[in-house]
Amino acid sequence: MLGYLIRRLAQAVVVVFAMSIIVFVGVYAIGNPIDVLIDPGATQEIRAKLIAQYGLDQPLWRQYFTFLANVAQGDMGTSMVYNIPVVDLVFSRLPATLELVLVSIMIATCIGIPAGLYAGYRPDSIAAKAIMALSVLGFSVPTFWIGMLLIMTFAVNLGVLPSGGRGDVGSFLGINTSLATLDGWSHVILPAINLSLFKMGLMIRLTRAGMVEAMRTDYVKFARAQGLTDREIIFSHVLRNISIPIVTVFGLELGSTLAFAVVTESVFTWPGVGKLIIDSILQLDRPVMVTYLVLVVILFVLINLVVDLVYARLDPRVRLKGGA
Amino acid sequence: MTFTPLRGAVAAVALIAAMPAAAEDLVIGLRAGPDSIDPHWSTLGSQAEALRHVYDTLVDVDDKLQLKPGLAVSWEPIDDTTWDFKLREGVKFHDGTDFTAEDAKFSIERIPEVTGPMSMTLYTKYVDSVEIIDDYTLRVHTKGIAPALPNDFTRLFVVPSETGMEAGNEEFNSGEKAIGTGPFTFVSWQPKGDLVLEKFDGWWGGEVAWDTVTRKEIPDDAARVAALRSGQVDLINYVPASDYLSMQNDSDLETFVSDSVYILNVQPSQAQPLPQKVRVNGEEIDDNPLADLRVRKALDLAINRDVLVNVVLEGLGTPANQLMPEGFFGYTDEIGAKPYDIEQAKELLAEAGYPDGFEIDFTCTNNRVPGDAVVCEALAQMWSRLGLTVNAQALNGTVFFPAAARKEYSMAMSAWGTLTGEAAYTYGAMIRTPDAEKGFGNFNRTDYSNPEFDAVFDEGAQTLDAEERRALYEEASLIAMEDRALIPTVILQTVWAADADTLDFTARVDQETRAYEIMPAE
Repeated sequence: MLGYLIRRLAQAVVVVFAMSIIVFVGVYAIGNPIDVLIDPGATQEIRAKLIAQYGLDQPLWRQYFTFLANVAQGDMGTSMVYNIPVVDLVFSRLPATLELVLVSIMIATCIGIPAGLYAGYRPDSIAAKAIMALSVLGFSVPTFWIGMLLIMTFAVNLGVLPSGGRGDVGSFLGINTSLATLDGWSHVILPAINLSLFKMGLMIRLTRAGMVEAMRTDYVKFARAQGLTDREIIFSHVLRNISIPIVTVFGLELGSTLAFAVVTESVFTWPGVGKLIIDSILQLDRPVMVTYLVLVVILFVLINLVVDLVYARLDPRVRLKGGA
Repeated sequence: MTFTPLRGAVAAVALIAAMPAAAEDLVIGLRAGPDSIDPHWSTLGSQAEALRHVYDTLVDVDDKLQLKPGLAVSWEPIDDTTWDFKLREGVKFHDGTDFTAEDAKFSIERIPEVTGPMSMTLYTKYVDSVEIIDDYTLRVHTKGIAPALPNDFTRLFVVPSETGMEAGNEEFNSGEKAIGTGPFTFVSWQPKGDLVLEKFDGWWGGEVAWDTVTRKEIPDDAARVAALRSGQVDLINYVPASDYLSMQNDSDLETFVSDSVYILNVQPSQAQPLPQKVRVNGEEIDDNPLADLRVRKALDLAINRDVLVNVVLEGLGTPANQLMPEGFFGYTDEIGAKPYDIEQAKELLAEAGYPDGFEIDFTCTNNRVPGDAVVCEALAQMWSRLGLTVNAQALNGTVFFPAAARKEYSMAMSAWGTLTGEAAYTYGAMIRTPDAEKGFGNFNRTDYSNPEFDAVFDEGAQTLDAEERRALYEEASLIAMEDRALIPTVILQTVWAADADTLDFTARVDQETRAYEIMPAE
């Protein structure tokens, strides 16, 4: 178990290094951030001074080692655009994204899994076919388009929900979150539904596939022969057996939604990290790009770790060894 | 449509939600906001626009970008290298202290200490030293003759001298140091979030109509329009062309249109050899056809600007005949509307030795201003009627600008705005032969160099008398346009929208949305 953890952490460190090198080389290949940022009226003298001030006249390897030396002292750098420490910048936006993603994952799970179970339990019923048809829509219709439809329907035509923004932020157990206020919920619900549709479709299909397969297995037949009701069979035996793929996908989706909720965030002007990172890329704000991507790598590693631990809990056959 | 209890409930809630906010609050949905609350951090246009609500500048500009008094009531040159600024008396900062020459001096000197990559030192580059004559007279000694100094000071925001040199963005963003003399006091702001402002009762500029103003940053075009249609905001800027058309047929909404300072210019490189060589009958040639004036004239004549405006930009533009809109300092009346004449263009091309045309790469931006990518493609088609094969490519500005700075494009197009409202800004950067010592030609990406132009322009840049200078810049405009140093195509227009008959709003050519100039409609 300990060996497994150490190995995982070592992998994470390698990936973080690789990521930071890719960002440095990538930005260097595109060109000089100063040429993107600079005002058209600036003289050569001002330009040269700026390039020197940000160390962009140094060879790439030296820029990279300066960055590493700063990181070693706990300094991830300062945003070139906002001139505030990147860690503060990213963490000022992260709570908004976190709450949006959590609500959307909740919606996807609470609707997706029961719907999938039903569709697998009665695969030939009309309701099951309707659920499957809807899940295909969730997959295939672009997020921004559904987002616009939701806004047109609920904000513009019915006028019952706001078209965007985050709403009032309240305090709950010492955490500042918009989920603590009614106004906050009215703002979060549309983008969360929009963000959940794809995942919901995925959950439904995964659960249904597992369910259909499991219902034909011997242990279900034995359970039936024992006289257990279908409800008992599904919830205490089948669900546990089909959970592994669902948990895997859940983990992956949680990570990628956190990192890349940008489409939904910009359609609903949600003040999360997605928009921040896209703008940083467009402005070649290297410190923000590096910090954010490193954070994403760490996030993915952590989520995968939790997923593996959950596997072990779900399936006693899974052993976490050093070589996992 | 049948009436159901549910529909009734929904309609009732809708009514409550749709009730207009109290008249004294204004919520604006904007495409872009500031990067910081420190007014000396960045030259970004959306930054200056937002911070004008909190801080005042020494010199202000009217809605056509011509100078008008701000915190300075008058200014005049004393000799070749000295300017005196008479300052406004009785102005108070938000914390109650008086505004004096000390604060103006401090603000000028603070800029080089704190400014970022969009460096504001460009507005103080002529300042040698600043002297306080008395509380309300500021004397500025310049490096060389600096006729454009008052123009530079239109972005010179004044903060109290007590701010201290060490205060940075964090102190400003938190509100601790966000103290100006402007029409509103700062309440709160987050990067990419809302800027909340409250009316400052003691503003020297007169009564402001709004108690609170919220400037929401909504970068997505569709989301901004939805926010207006759902009543979340009262006014939006940068309405996209497609929505502009549908709003024209919608009696609930009102639109406001203005020419902008931005013009899409074609930049034919005169470099020898060209960075991307042209091909004749499939063979690369070493000659640069663009260095031949006849070819540049042919390219110009083959552009049908009316089609660009009416068809390609759906009416949201004006044909451009020089590098600035009409009324700017240095705009010459002697150039009429640019003709479209494909036959004459073909003749010129044949005279220049390219009767069968050539194949050339043409690179543009695709996200900097509305319409840049579609104009790019339309131009390629127009030139193909001339017999050229044009490989048009529209790139993201993040890729385009660094490559343009490395002069990698044979022919490029991007938008340029004469942000100061006078010619020296544009000609000094893009047309003048590069000269690092004088700080000219930093954006001359075409290697255009004409000693005649340089002489006239330099003389203008050394002339303090405004009318003489204007005449020289107008002559420079004529030379540059006769040479087709750059080929202007269209002036872009900007659209704002609000609920019909709610706001009294004058669209500005610099595209700024100034809350204190907006009134509720009577």
